[in-house]
Amino acid sequence: MLKRVPMSKLKSLIKKKAHIRIGTAADAMVELNVLLFLHSLAEEARTKAFEEKSATIKACHVKAVCKKLLKQARG
Amino acid sequence: RGKTSGTKKDLGLPKSYVTSVFKHFAKTKVSSDVYPVLKEIMERYFDRLADDLEVYAAHANRKTIEVEDVELLMRRQGFVTDSMPVNVLIEKYLPMESRKLLIPVATSGNYVIPKPRRK
Repeated sequence: MLKRVPMSKLKSLIKKKAHIRIGTAADAMVELNVLLFLHSLAEEARTKAFEEKSATIKACHVKAVCKKLLKQARG
Repeated sequence: RGKTSGTKKDLGLPKSYVTSVFKHFAKTKVSSDVYPVLKEIMERYFDRLADDLEVYAAHANRKTIEVEDVELLMRRQGFVTDSMPVNVLIEKYLPMESRKLLIPVATSGNYVIPKPRRK
């Protein structure tokens, strides 16, 4: 079972600029986006770790795939 | 990123949340030194996310970020495609409480919560 994301934290993260407001349910969508992003990150890191014949995901594996994924996550 | 009040404020999502979600999706062993990298990635991710959403909302002459903006963002990110509609993703990933906010559900007395979005 997944934990719930702390909503107020999430809101404050989106709301760095003071004049922006967040509509109803938009924060739930952002939660979905975060989950999807972490999902793809985990999958890519796992494949990377598998390629390098390592059973555990290490920091270097995550680092190797993060550039690609952050690029994908561009709007 | 918040510049105020020392180190506590500019932490993004809590460590327990990020690591548990990551471990949940990874399905293999995750070494413990992954978290600092994850934290940095999430910070950069949120920086960009906030900028993008602001631009989308401003483009539609709004000051409020709406669900459509996030949906457009996910379309641009390639998560939502024609063969993978957004409702499927919502049902697959989100817990019930958030799902109720996003997908119209009929309740007693013929009220539909939330109001169906205009198309």
